[in-house]
Amino acid sequence: MRPSLLSSLILLPVALTTHLRINVPSTPQLQQPSTLPPSTHATLTTLSHHYSVPLTVSNTFEFRNVTSGSYLLDVHCHTYSFLPLRVDVHEGIKLKEGGAGVEDVSEVMVWGTFRGNEWANKGEAVTVKEVEGKVGVWGFEVKPKGGKEYYIERAGFSPLSLLKNPMILIAGVSMILVFGMPYIMDNMDPEMKAEFEERQKSSPLSGGAQANPLQSFDPAAWLAGAPSTGAKDKKEDKAPVERGVTR
Amino acid sequence: MRLPLTVITLALSLLPSTHAVFADEAYTVDYHHELLGLPLPQTTFFHRPRKDDKATLLYTLSDLGVLGAVHPGTGRVVWRQLLAGESANNGTEKGFLRPVEGESTVVSAIGGRVDSWDAMSGRERWGNVFSGTVKDLEVMETPSGDAKDVLALFEEDGKSVLRLLKGKSGNVKWEYRDEAIDLPLQVSTNVEKLFVTALHGSKGAYNIKVTQVDPVTGKKGSEYTLRSLSEIHGPEDVLLVGANSASPIIAWTDKDFKNLKINVLGRSAAIVTLPLKEADGPITEVEIHAPHLIQSLPHFLVHSYSATANRADVYHVNLASGSVEKEYELPKLPGKGAVSVSSQDANVYFTRLTEDECIVVSSASHGILGRWPMKFTGKDGALIHGASEVVKRTGDAYAVRTAVVTSNDDWLLVRNGAVDWTRSEGLSGAVAAAWADIPESESLAKTLEAEAHINPLSAYIHRVNRHAHDLQYLPAYLQTLPKRLLSSIIGSDAASQTNGVLVRDNFGFNKLVIVATERGRVYGLDAGNQGTILWSTRSSKVFDFPASEKWDVKGIYVDPSKGTATIRGSRGEFVIVHVLTGNVLGTATPGSHPSVRSAVVVDTPSGTRFLPIGLDGNPGEIPSTRAPKDSLVTQGKAGEIKGLKYETSGDIAAPVTLWTFQPGPGEKIINVVSRPTHDPVASIGKVLGDRTVLYKYLNQNVVLVTAVAEESSSVIFYLIDSVSGDVLYSATHEGVDIKQPITSVLTENWFAYSLWSDIAVTSATSAALPASKGYQIVISELFESSIPNDRGPLGPTDNSSSIEPSDEINGEPALPYVITQSFLIPESISHMSVSQTSQGITSRQLICTLAGSNAVVGIPRHILDARRPVGRAPTPAEMEESLVQYHPVIDFDPRMTLTHKREVIGIKDVIATPAILESTSLLFAYGIDIFGTRVAPSAAFDILGKSFNRLSLVATVLALWVGVFILAPMTKRKQINERWAAQ
Repeated sequence: MRPSLLSSLILLPVALTTHLRINVPSTPQLQQPSTLPPSTHATLTTLSHHYSVPLTVSNTFEFRNVTSGSYLLDVHCHTYSFLPLRVDVHEGIKLKEGGAGVEDVSEVMVWGTFRGNEWANKGEAVTVKEVEGKVGVWGFEVKPKGGKEYYIERAGFSPLSLLKNPMILIAGVSMILVFGMPYIMDNMDPEMKAEFEERQKSSPLSGGAQANPLQSFDPAAWLAGAPSTGAKDKKEDKAPVERGVTR
Repeated sequence: MRLPLTVITLALSLLPSTHAVFADEAYTVDYHHELLGLPLPQTTFFHRPRKDDKATLLYTLSDLGVLGAVHPGTGRVVWRQLLAGESANNGTEKGFLRPVEGESTVVSAIGGRVDSWDAMSGRERWGNVFSGTVKDLEVMETPSGDAKDVLALFEEDGKSVLRLLKGKSGNVKWEYRDEAIDLPLQVSTNVEKLFVTALHGSKGAYNIKVTQVDPVTGKKGSEYTLRSLSEIHGPEDVLLVGANSASPIIAWTDKDFKNLKINVLGRSAAIVTLPLKEADGPITEVEIHAPHLIQSLPHFLVHSYSATANRADVYHVNLASGSVEKEYELPKLPGKGAVSVSSQDANVYFTRLTEDECIVVSSASHGILGRWPMKFTGKDGALIHGASEVVKRTGDAYAVRTAVVTSNDDWLLVRNGAVDWTRSEGLSGAVAAAWADIPESESLAKTLEAEAHINPLSAYIHRVNRHAHDLQYLPAYLQTLPKRLLSSIIGSDAASQTNGVLVRDNFGFNKLVIVATERGRVYGLDAGNQGTILWSTRSSKVFDFPASEKWDVKGIYVDPSKGTATIRGSRGEFVIVHVLTGNVLGTATPGSHPSVRSAVVVDTPSGTRFLPIGLDGNPGEIPSTRAPKDSLVTQGKAGEIKGLKYETSGDIAAPVTLWTFQPGPGEKIINVVSRPTHDPVASIGKVLGDRTVLYKYLNQNVVLVTAVAEESSSVIFYLIDSVSGDVLYSATHEGVDIKQPITSVLTENWFAYSLWSDIAVTSATSAALPASKGYQIVISELFESSIPNDRGPLGPTDNSSSIEPSDEINGEPALPYVITQSFLIPESISHMSVSQTSQGITSRQLICTLAGSNAVVGIPRHILDARRPVGRAPTPAEMEESLVQYHPVIDFDPRMTLTHKREVIGIKDVIATPAILESTSLLFAYGIDIFGTRVAPSAAFDILGKSFNRLSLVATVLALWVGVFILAPMTKRKQINERWAAQ
């Protein structure tokens, strides 16, 4: 084991550099990641470690020389917002199975994380792949959540919105009825007019007092045992109408 | 995923729409000076961002470490990157910026980082960080079509390290370490060789060591030493080390500028001595301008200044023999001038700008290719240095444009002698600012007063005369009348300026801001008119200020009655300027008064005064009429906090230490904040839903002290009574990254602070907050008692004293009842302040500067309420108080951003002042950029905003009027008809 231990010590400085390559892919929210402003940058923070890198031309964030630790990854962008990620970097030297030799592996694991929740409460895991052709370079994707909206439009006054008000609508309809009906009646064919008037008389809505028996109900008289005047009126009224029909 | 969605919707629902920037108010209410800092001569150049396009952009890496590209036609910033970023103290580091010829790339280096940037978009191509500091940066010219490699010279533990970085990835190709302890100076290349020049020797007397390095392998070749012991005392004595030239040279002068000494690198240790001609008196400064392209001819220009004139000589280096010959000279011209070099392929052009004319010459012959008179106004200042671009038009016509820095700290673009644009880059790097009211003209008040005191007859005659005199303004008034009427109907800006005259407006929006910058310059800005610069004064001229040093301003005091501003520096110097004109009314040079730790505005028997506090926290003895009435809190040399009170004995008042506060072992005090001077409180209690009152703990004499303990990574906040020195409240946070910004603010009856914390599960401060990593903001509200309608121990007494809180001897002070709540925030807050209104009726807004997002956000107070119910829905009584359920996360909604789409970089401080309107507070943020806006934390309730449609009001009135006119005859006719019909 001694030579392998020695070689592990030689390999140690190499193992201490983990390189993260975080890619901003093209998504439905963000079709063209190249439109992100040049001030877009990502930060990796943990206790007493803080890395910050700007966005590169190839829409990636390159973190070189990241040491072991559990980091919070934030992407700061002026036009789009991104969800935070938890990035765990474990560097170390693992024995290959069978003890044949030493391999230095730097493992990177990434999950979604939620602000205001326990650090252990991990979200969906993000797939991390070693970048092809590069040793010790780990790549994963960070997707935008949505665009940032800085302004609110002022709710301006429009006559249409006033008209949409149900109170105004009801008032408008009753206005049409009150003012429009006499005109319609005047312009009506005389026969039709007569027919209409008759129908109005027969309908329970028309004629106010006649229509509603309860309206002119006299409770005092009723309690005194007298026959209801309303009912009386109704009877008297009904007679000529019937006569009219039979005639 | 189920949790965050609810989180987001909840966080969004908490935000009322009134706290956002209205789309129609953005860019009109707020103003922004997008600044870069003062361009440096070595790192400013024109470069083509697109290979095939002839258009160029102007690139600079400024003295503040801001890399930027400016459109030379308009003077607008195309992109910016703040390189001297996170830690604020590295602004003094020298930066390097080089273009990569024929590629869309510029390479920068500052501190230990080397970056390559896309010249068009400003995105990074690659970046790499090394230990040590960069001393020089060059682009390696390679014949192959690949991306050009970059040479970076570092100083690591006093040794030079040269690294060749791959042009594609920034990875190290090879590394060369010099084992000798040297002062690395520069790296130069010609086509086939690399030279590392370093200063060798002891401090104050150096020889120049030139080492040859193989460009392919990075192996050391031959080296030789140039004897210069008596002439070179430091790196700044070496005038030039030519880089990327067919024949690089190193040049320096002897002590009294009699001779120029030159060595052609790589030839031999032979030193060529060239005599320097005097131009009207002894030479004070020598500059050398040489091209930076390998294909350019090896010519250079020596520009020498005397106090009154400047002249230039052009020399040629013979490539074959290595000899240096003088070719021609440019005549002596009075005043200062700027010479800049530009090269196109092999041709080298020198552009010389003086106050009278602008000329372009070719390095090969003395014939003037172009000559233009300078259209300059006197206020532009003397030319300091420039970068130019010469374009050959058809035939023999040339055009030149030069970006020049003037002694006024302005950056101008001079195109063929005419000024195209001016950028006031001197405004960047502001270190202190203060609001000032526009001084009122008191002439009318004075005449009225005079009329009241003389006898009635003469007063009457005087008044008639005055009114007759006023008649001359009548035509002008009548002329403006229709305009005023129209503007009041259409609703154009009420606060619009009467041309050029500064007057107060009815709303109190027209105010001035006095800004002092680290370069020793004072500016006056008009906040009512988009923050335009009214005046600028160079106080450094008065002080004889060394250019390498920064002005450490300790405070600005504006005297509203006199209309003056006093600016005090740390070394005892001060300057008094008039706020309207910028005229310097009085100064004191550095050292004439004792050094100052801070300066404070105090209330004295003879009015408010500006009291400087010495380094040891002692303001010293002063005449008793100037002694402050209240107690002072100062910080001593060892960081301890002292409470002082002035005791008068006769004419002299001396400070007496009342108490001293020493933090615990291993703790260091990093910040002390007090309540703002203007901090009115409209209501002394908080009315609860059941109509009981929780009384606020309102004590003017409290300070909030922030102490950090590095070993245990914890932060301790102490709330101290500044009269008695009692600790009223303290809070400890563990697992705090003390390298991250820790900011705090104290106002009314609450204080807030923010920090980065790795919260453990057993966090004592807030049970509501789960264990998590991240930035948090903590708010604490102080009340007199935990019981409503109870005023605690202070209740029954009419008077109370902090020193003797109760009748019993050595009684405990009345401690406030503190409610604390923590919230998690997505990013770090680098500075906090609070909005101010004139009466304090409007709720306060916490103004936070986010350095990471280059933004300033305003957090409404009702979100940051410590009494929000935790873990349950609010009861109807709490709903009446408009309390919403506690949620641990405050997401910085973009609509909370006061700077909206603007990117404001390097903000150090935000100052607030009340307007006359109660609803509105004026804000001014400064640092590298300048930003100002108005905020209305409880919505603009006392002003008709843009939402008020004057036109529709007028239209409605008109419509009613028309209706009445139509209906009136109708009803009249009807009435008449009715009468007739009735009879």
